Formats: sequence, structure tokens, C-alpha cells
Amino acid sequence: MSLRRTEPPDDARLLQGTLDLLVLKTLSRNGVMHGYDIARFIQKISRDVLRVEEGSLYPALHRLELEDLVVSEWGHAASGRRAKYYRLRSAGRRRLDAKEGRWRRMVDAIELILTPSEDTP
Amino acid sequence: MKIASAIWLRLRNVRRGRLDRDLGDEYAFHLEAKTQAYVDEGMEPAAAREEALRAFGNPAVLRETSRELFTFAPAESWFQDLRHGCRVLLRNRGYSAAAILVLVLGIGASVAIFSVVYGVLLRPLPYSHGERLVVLHQEARPAGLSDVPFSVPEILDYRRMSDTLDAVVEHHSMSFLLFADSRAERVDTAVVSANFFDVLGVRPLLGRMFVPQDDAPGSEAVIVLSYDYWQHRHRGNPDIVGTIFEMNDRPHRVIGVLPSIPQYPVESEVYMPTSHCPTRSSPEFIANRRSRMMTAFGRLDDDATLEAAQAELSAIAGRLQASYPDAYPDTDGYGLRVSTLKGDLTSRAERSVLLLFGGAGLVLLIACANVSNLFLARLMNRGRELSLRRALGASRMRLVRQLLTENMLLSLSGGAGGLLIASAMHRMLVDFAARFTTRASEIQLDAPVLAFAVALSIGVGVLFALGPAFFSSQSSGEGANRDHSRSTTTRVGRRLRSGLVIAQVTVSFVLLVGAGLMLTSFVRLQRVDPGFETDRILSMRLSPNYQRIPDMDTLMADLDVLGERILREVTAITGVRTAALTDGFPFRPGSTGPDAVGIEIEGGTSEGLARTVDVDVVSRGYFDTIGQRTLAGRTFLPADRSDAPLVVVVNQSMVDNWFGGDNPLGRRIHVPHSGATAAIVGVVSDVRDFGLDRPPVDKLYASMEQLGFATNLLVRTNAAPMDVFPAVRQTLFGLDPELAVDRVATIDSLRDESVASPRLMTTLLGLLALLALLISAGGIAAMMALAVSQRTNELGIRMALGASRRSVLAMILGQGLGLALAGIALGSIGAVAFSRVLASLPYDTTGTDPLTLAGVALVFIAVAVLACLVPARRATRVDPMVALRHQ
Repeated sequence: MSLRRTEPPDDARLLQGTLDLLVLKTLSRNGVMHGYDIARFIQKISRDVLRVEEGSLYPALHRLELEDLVVSEWGHAASGRRAKYYRLRSAGRRRLDAKEGRWRRMVDAIELILTPSEDTP
Repeated sequence: MKIASAIWLRLRNVRRGRLDRDLGDEYAFHLEAKTQAYVDEGMEPAAAREEALRAFGNPAVLRETSRELFTFAPAESWFQDLRHGCRVLLRNRGYSAAAILVLVLGIGASVAIFSVVYGVLLRPLPYSHGERLVVLHQEARPAGLSDVPFSVPEILDYRRMSDTLDAVVEHHSMSFLLFADSRAERVDTAVVSANFFDVLGVRPLLGRMFVPQDDAPGSEAVIVLSYDYWQHRHRGNPDIVGTIFEMNDRPHRVIGVLPSIPQYPVESEVYMPTSHCPTRSSPEFIANRRSRMMTAFGRLDDDATLEAAQAELSAIAGRLQASYPDAYPDTDGYGLRVSTLKGDLTSRAERSVLLLFGGAGLVLLIACANVSNLFLARLMNRGRELSLRRALGASRMRLVRQLLTENMLLSLSGGAGGLLIASAMHRMLVDFAARFTTRASEIQLDAPVLAFAVALSIGVGVLFALGPAFFSSQSSGEGANRDHSRSTTTRVGRRLRSGLVIAQVTVSFVLLVGAGLMLTSFVRLQRVDPGFETDRILSMRLSPNYQRIPDMDTLMADLDVLGERILREVTAITGVRTAALTDGFPFRPGSTGPDAVGIEIEGGTSEGLARTVDVDVVSRGYFDTIGQRTLAGRTFLPADRSDAPLVVVVNQSMVDNWFGGDNPLGRRIHVPHSGATAAIVGVVSDVRDFGLDRPPVDKLYASMEQLGFATNLLVRTNAAPMDVFPAVRQTLFGLDPELAVDRVATIDSLRDESVASPRLMTTLLGLLALLALLISAGGIAAMMALAVSQRTNELGIRMALGASRRSVLAMILGQGLGLALAGIALGSIGAVAFSRVLASLPYDTTGTDPLTLAGVALVFIAVAVLACLVPARRATRVDPMVALRHQ
């Protein structure tokens, strides 16, 4: 079975951790959404910079669901098709806060390295 | 919470269909929405669809990733094993049926007997604080008495002086006449202190239990009915509370009904407080430290141990002995022993029940060995399949698990069937246990027994699988292409299988010898001559209303007249040959053993202590009715009236033991207790009064016409004894409507009853042994059948080279017999040990009986030959040409 598991390419792997963050953030802003809207929202907000295979969103969503960070339910979209809607749970919100803080600290650290201040020798 | 929901999400998806549909729907929605978006931007629908798919990535890979997240990989493969197992077992119906049948028998026997072990020995007592209830035994070891009853002052002293017991309760049994619907009946009555039910923690089913005021002198007479008595005698009348019954010439009001629980110390029909028992409430009785009649038990204080109670009560006994030397003669060495109520209730059952449980365990072992063998044989035939799966990448653990799953299916089916067997045996087992303990009514197939059945099934499944399974999983994957029936594993397997067959024979042989010993001792017991003709005698107990006439002399005279009229009128009934009244007779129900009346022979040597004899007071016709022969002198004559000199008749044992076989006629006996003397006028033959297993005791017969009314009526009839009972009953009612008649039984049935306990033990052990024999015979047959089919090739060569059918038959039979003989040899050693265990039980088995051993060995050899015959005959029909081509 392990043979059939495809290893994601480097870019995607880097992205996997951030993908969770993006999904959680998206849900916290917009409330209840289905997968397609989440993908569209991420692309639109990031001005099409973050282009990932849209499908890889789904395993990420499912993992979050199993970790009890999001909850899903089946409903019907405007087109009448069966669609799965996701919503953030309180545990997801806490996880988002933690991840966001860590992300900002990391970004600050990288920023410090890339633009060294005049004080440092 | 989190773990539970994660498991649920996964379990929900164990069936793939639903998960696949959900994932498909989710992806389809995304793709459709994306396609629509591209179309809205002006793309062609086909191109839009393609672009959407490209942007999405590979759905198959994504789906697999999600699926692994959601499903529960071990559960899924376990379901696969289960499904595969069911398929395999259904395909091999013969194997499955044989294995399940053997397991049903093995597990069934164990579960059935475990229900007795649990109900009688393990289950907590159905009383609250049951584990704190203790029984007090007053002992006089040097005098050979282990259970001297207590007197009222003794019970009051222990109650007052003990700190380790927070309550002391008294109990004694009486038999009173109760008048219901103007008919007299004798009821077994328990006379108890008012705190009796309180200490036991028994709550009433109806009404209330006794309170201290009920026990106060002069209070209203009240009674509590037992559940069975209320059900059977009063048809469970829900309005029984408040009913008044006449007892002891006083009205008694029913205040409550007991729930259905085992009673202690004996089963009673009616309970009354001590203040209403005519004997127990008399001031003389209460004051006399030597009027000992009661049983005493108590409840340990919360923080007291049994040892502490024993120490304290022994000390109290010592103090009492010092204060009242008259009541406790030094030579008797009084003492007090305390034991748990549970132990007292079950100690008599323990050994027999555990022996049966051990027997059932052996049957189960045989069943395991048998099924192991079947399993092993099939494993060899499946060598190819298993090797192939191994080569295709199945891990050894996975194969073992697969085999284990198949076995679990078999053993759990066996367990389910076993429960049916256990419920079929339930009635018989309750009957058996009831011979030893009042707890028999607590034997049920309830949750603990079910749990035992499930645990046993699982254990058995693992046991009969693990060895063979590991053995097989060691066969390497390379074997797939080899001819498996010739590989080394087969040779190892055959040796293992032979070992298992020998083990089966060994264990069943031991069991069969045990059952054989029980059976021979039982047959011996049945053949014992009781010393009289037991058939066509009807017995019953008569209870006149003694309270009716307060004046003793008038009463005695009345009863003498009654006795004479009963004998005259009953003898006149057609079908009745003779009738007699007596206070004792052989196999009398409720008998506690011989009386111990101390007597002296006038002019005899007064060597040693005063010796005792058993005394029966009988009417003139007794010896004719029983069929006891007169050996010398005469029996009672009409002339032996109450105003004539007292005469007695003795039995042969008394002549042997007291007179050294000399003629005792004309010698006189003296009864120091009453001061009476009597002349010996006759000698009669010996009778086994106290059961076939007890030799006749020294006996003295006195005349009812001289000493007064005796209460048991014996009637010898011409035809079936029970047929004349209605006429007898009618006659008795005509003579005295207040005469209660009960314990109606034929002597034959009482004789059967007296051997019921060894008979049931023999039957149960015999059943177990028969099971063992059948299972192991099946084991031999299966082993030889497989051997023949595996050696078709070789047999063909032998026959082609000129071996005769006879020699092939002899070869196969010889091999089967070889296994049986090896088992018998080993089993003989075990049988010697087992017979020692049996000899420790109260069933009078002789240690190892060579005759039984040889007989059982012969039976076994015959069965082994039969078991080999079918495969052996098949071997002789092998066609050499077919066999040589056979692979």
C-alpha cells in the first residue's frame, strides 16, 4: 500500500504546513464554506501567487477534520449538487492562533536576516 | 472524546462504498464548479473540463490519500480475514461440522459444570453482608461430638459477651400441625429469634418480617411463609398476608412471605418467633443450660476478622465452662468453633463438584487435541495455498492471524452450541447439587456463566490454533512449487498428530476408568441385600393433633385406641396384605442415623463404657410387613400388652456383638435412663435401616402395644402400592379428620432415593467419559483416514508388488491400534492417580481395580478397531493403477 503513496514535490511539501494555516484562516474569516470556495478564496486573496494543485486541498481538509479542528456536513449548493461544507471548531480556532503566532515570529526572524539593521556588525 | 470520534469516523468508513461515494461527490462538485467558472469566462465546455481537471491534480492519488486517512487499516484487513475465514469454512463443510461438533461437546460440558461451580461455590450469598455471616459450632471433641446444639442461656451469653459479633441469631426446626381449609397438615417450622431475617438481610416479598415485639412473651402469634410453601400450598395467593391459621391450638396470623432464596440452615415451610414455640417458650426450658436444641449463627462486626471472632468466642466458651461446671463435664471437653456460613453451605458439595469440573476440563482438553489434529491435517492440505500467499507477500503474522480468525469462528460457534448443551443439562445438574446444598436453586445460566463460555471459547480457539499455526507459518514460501505431501513438514506434522491422538486416548482412558470405578461401586451398592423385601411396601407419616388433649394419660389411651383401629381398618382394605405402625423403618426420609440408647445387659460384663443401640418401637405386624425373618424365639404376640412384662426382640448383629453369638433368649436388658428392664424373647434377621452403604447396626425392637403409639404407617400390598393409597387415606380421614398424613412414598422409591447421589455422580461422570471416548475414537478415525489418503500412492505400490488385502488391512489396523495402546499404557498411570482422588470421595470406590482397568482397556481397543476399520477397508480397495498415478 505504501508503494502507491506519492510523495509530494518539494514545493508542495513546504506548502503542506502552510496550507493548513491558510485553510484555517480562510474558514475563520468566512464561516461555512465548501472546498471549491476555499480554494477560490485562497487564490483570489493571494492574487494567484499561491497556485497549488487544487485537489491537494482535500486531503488537507480531511486531515483537519480527523483532528477535530474543522467539522463538516453535507448540504446542497446553489446548483443543487451535493456539496460538503466545512466549518471551524473552537479547537481549530485555537490551533489557528498558535500557528499564526508562530508564522509571524518566523516571518519576523526571516525578515531580520534578509534586511539586517545598521546596529549589527 | 476526540479518540472516540476519530474511531467512529473511521469505523463508519470500514465499508468502502460510502467513503468512496463521498470522496467522489466532493471532487465532482469541485470539478463541476471549476468547469462552470471557465465556461463563464468564455471557454468551450470540453476545454473547460480539461482545464479544470489539470488544475485539480490526480484524483486517484488524492482519493487514496484521503481514504488512508479515513479508514482503519487493521479493522479493514480483519474484516477481510473474517470474510475469507467464513468462505473457507463454508467450502470445507465436513471439516467445519466435525470441528464444531467436537467443540460443542467439549465446551458444553465445561460450561454446564461451571454453572454449578459458580452457582454453588463462587457466587456471593444472596444475603446482604453474606460474607460476614458465620456459624457457631459447639463441640465436645473428646466425646466425639462436633455439633452440639445450643441452649437458651448459652445463646444469651454469647450474644451479651461477644464484641466481634454484632448480632447472634438462633434457629431450631420443629414440625407442627397447621390447619388450613379445616385439613391438618404437618409443616416444617423454623423457630427463630426476631432478628433472624434482619441479620441475614432478607427483605420480605410480601408483608413484613419479624420485629422484636413479635418475640415478646404474650404477643400475638405470627408466622412468615417460605416462598415455595406459599407457591405450592397456597397457590401464590397474593392476599395471604393477614390470613389466620390454627397451629398448636392457637390462631397464628401470616405477616409476610419470603422471597425465593436458599434457606439456612435447612429448608423450612413456616417461620415463627421463639416466643410461640411451645417447647422453646416454656420457663423451664429457657432456664436450663443443658436443654440444648438450637443452632446459633451471627454476623461479624465490621472490623472483626474470623480469626479474631474465633479467639474471642473460644475465650468466652472457657469462661462459661469455668462458671458452670455442671453443664460442661470436664470429660466432654467443650469448645467453640466458628466458620463462615458460605463454607458451611457448600463444603459438602465442594469435592464432588470440583471433581466433575476437573472431568469436564479433561473432556475439553481432549476436544482441543482433537480439533487441533483436524486443523493440522487440513493445514497440510492447504500448504500450497499458504505458501502461495506467503510468496505473494503476506507476512507470517498475517497468515497466523488469518488462521486464528478461522479458528475463532469455529470455537465461538462451538461455544454457542455449548450453551445449548449446558441448558439441556441444567435440570439434572440442579438435582445433583441439591443432594449436597440448599444453594442448588442458585444454579443459573446467567451473565457470569455466559462470560465464562465466551472466554472459554476464545481461549480454546487460541489454544488449538497457536501451535499448529506457528508450525505452519514456518514453512517457507519456496514450498509453493514443491509437492507438499512429501516435504519434511509433513513428517513433523504426522508425528505431532500421532502425539495428539495418543494424548486424547490417554486422557479419555483415565476418565473412562474413573467412570468405570464409579459404576462398579454403584452396581455393587445396588446389589447389596437390604435384608428384606423392598417392593410393594407403602410408607407414610401420621401426625395426630397432640395439642387437642391436654391430659397426657387420656392422650396416650386415645392414641392406643387410634393405633389399633388404624391397623385393623387399613388391613381390611382390599389389596392390603398387612399393615404396621413403627417409629423407624429402613430408608426413612429425614432419618439422621441410628439412635444411641445406652443399655446394659443384666449379668453381662460391664467392660468399658456404656454401649448404645438403635431402638425401634414397632407394632405386632411389623416383621411380617417388612419381611424380616425370625431367627430364634418369637416376635410380639397379642399377649404382650401394656400390663404384661416388657419384652424386646434383638437383631442378629446385636447377638454377635453383645452376646458373642450365644443364645440371648431369656436374657434381660436394663435401660439406665428410664430404669426399665425387659426380657429378650426373639432374634430377627439384620436389615440395612440407614442406607445400602451402611452395614446393619445393633438393634432392639420394642412393642408399640406396650410402649405407645408409633407414627409411621407401613402397608404391604398385593399390587402397585400407590394404587391403594387413596383408600388408605380415606380410611384414615374417617378415623380421625385431624390426623395429618404426609411423606407418602414406596420403600422402593425411598431405596432409589437413598442412592441418588452416587447414581447422579456416576451418570454425570459416565456421560463425560462417554463423550471423551467418542471424541477420541473420532480422532483415531480421522487420523487413519488422512494417513490412508496421503499414502494412496505407497499402498498402490505395495499392492502392485503383491501385498495381500489382508496384510494391508492388518498394517492400517496395526497402526491405529498402536496409537490406542500407547494411549492406554500412558492412561493406566493416570488412572491410578485418578482412582486415588475418587477414593477420597464418599462413594465407596475401591482404589484401582485391575478388573475395571482391563475391562476399560478392552472397550477402548474395540472402539479403536472400529474407528480404524472404515479407513482400513478403504485402503484395501486401492486400485494399484489408479494409486500409482495419484499425486
